[in-house]
Amino acid sequence: MHMADALLSPALGLAMNALSVAAIGASVAKVEKDELSEKKIPIMGVAGAMIFAMQMVNFTIPATGSSGHIGGGILLAGLLGGVPAFLSIAAVLIIQCLFFADGGLLALGCNIFNMGLIPCLVIYPLIFKPLLKNGIGYKRLSLASVISVVIGLELGAFCVVLQTLASGITELPFSTFLALMLPIHLVIGLAEGFVTAVVLCFVYKMSPDIIDSSQSRQCLNVSAKKVLVTLALLTVTAGGVLSLFASTNPDGLEWAIGKTTQKVFGTEAALDPGLSPEEGLFESAASLQKKTAFLPNYTFASNPDNPAGTPASGLIGAAIVFAFAGMTGLLISKVKRSKKAGAHV
Amino acid sequence: MSDISARIHELRALENLSTGRTVIHRLHPFVKLVSAFVLIVFVASFGRYDFVRLVPYLFYPFVMMALAELPYKLFLSRVLIALPFCLFAGLSNVIFDRATALSIGDVAISYGVLSLMTILLKMYLCVMAALLLVATTPFPELTVQLRRFHVPMVFVMVFEMTFRYIGVLLEEVHAMITAYKLRSGTKKTIDMRHMGSFLGQLLLRGFDRAERVHRAMRCRGYSLRHIPPAPRQLRHSDVLALTAVCLPALLLRFLS
Repeated sequence: MHMADALLSPALGLAMNALSVAAIGASVAKVEKDELSEKKIPIMGVAGAMIFAMQMVNFTIPATGSSGHIGGGILLAGLLGGVPAFLSIAAVLIIQCLFFADGGLLALGCNIFNMGLIPCLVIYPLIFKPLLKNGIGYKRLSLASVISVVIGLELGAFCVVLQTLASGITELPFSTFLALMLPIHLVIGLAEGFVTAVVLCFVYKMSPDIIDSSQSRQCLNVSAKKVLVTLALLTVTAGGVLSLFASTNPDGLEWAIGKTTQKVFGTEAALDPGLSPEEGLFESAASLQKKTAFLPNYTFASNPDNPAGTPASGLIGAAIVFAFAGMTGLLISKVKRSKKAGAHV
Repeated sequence: MSDISARIHELRALENLSTGRTVIHRLHPFVKLVSAFVLIVFVASFGRYDFVRLVPYLFYPFVMMALAELPYKLFLSRVLIALPFCLFAGLSNVIFDRATALSIGDVAISYGVLSLMTILLKMYLCVMAALLLVATTPFPELTVQLRRFHVPMVFVMVFEMTFRYIGVLLEEVHAMITAYKLRSGTKKTIDMRHMGSFLGQLLLRGFDRAERVHRAMRCRGYSLRHIPPAPRQLRHSDVLALTAVCLPALLLRFLS
């Protein structure tokens, strides 16, 4: 369920990154207040690594012939509490993004939101904990696990659909995308919920104090009502306002730079979305570009009727640039190798 | 499950690469972190049919790979991990966006195909930018840089501990799975009914380990009030490298 940078608009990606950074900041503040925070950190680190390792263990989903693995948000929240679990999951997602190409730096905010914030800071305090309010037992623990994992996974998948469509990268209609994503995540959620339940029951049987102590902790120092209202507002902002921004004005970054350059240079030219070279700095840059362009008729998307620009010449130009970039890389490697060989002699 | 050992190997391979001594490895981590992020934001900001305008950005991975003397094979295998979801979204464009965008001879290329090519190129560039960052920056330097960006100490510690223990716990899981397989005939995955005790044992052993780790850290003077090492100052070469990446990326985005 990892989102990729290639499917995300910068506006939405940066907004979700900001949201996740704020959630991490609030969680860190909450953990730091705890007297036991120093002791908890190694546990959170090892727990994050355990979730990563657990994701490597595939289990057979009965009657399907396929296999799946655990996501770990609810499991970790059940063991550590919502806030520490969220920080551990965020650390795991950053490592997966940087070292294993699962997700991307721009999409990190979306992934932390979908796979960390939703299960640990929304589902855990609003569904999992209330279900265990009247005491912990194997039946209650199992029921809470399955319901929480299924709802958390479905909500996460729904957010993936919203974020992808709000970015305007895919042509897939909303209903079709939803119809593809939700049923498959329901099956995965049921299997993961079952595994989470049996693992939590096993831990409860062997070492009940772990589950008891996580349940006695307060998750966040705010009421459930406040959490719901904040999330509703954030969803409306991310899903509504940002999607409008992303779809009607895909070059939001250009717009921002145009505004900035207008402020700096005070020219009308800076307001042009394409930064059209009319005077001053832009004229000089454009004339330099004309002089250095090796394909003078190599036009790009400037006409809305033909968003691909002048296609055939464009593609040929692209192929030449690709070859040139590859050759540059090869040349540098060759020069470095020959220098090394010379040094050895 | 055979990919557990592959993952351990991948993790160590990237960490080993980051200890190189090339011109890229010697750059300040701030430069590498900022340039990777700038490049990703610019690449992501292109429109869905801007394949041609994105191609010049390929200079970044090609030149960086050559200068940092990194192996292509390892990186390409990582790029493949990110492929399925992008391919799924891109192929849907091929189905739903069929208007002809251009013709090369008798071959017509639809807008859907053009957008699929754009998504795949974006994916390649973004994944490579992130991988190049970690393959040329040692992990401790990366975390020190995070501290300099005022990321809270608690989170940096959790991040460091998670990274350090992934290798250890993956080896433990690998050993447990091997033991399970040896006792269960021809089974390739673990039965659902055994998952509780299997993962539960792993969890309990992990918590025990965390307790021991914490005690060992305390014995060696660990504290949350630990002061990060003094930062190395930016050199002229660092500023030059940052300009060499960000300026062309900016010009290609807004003047092409």
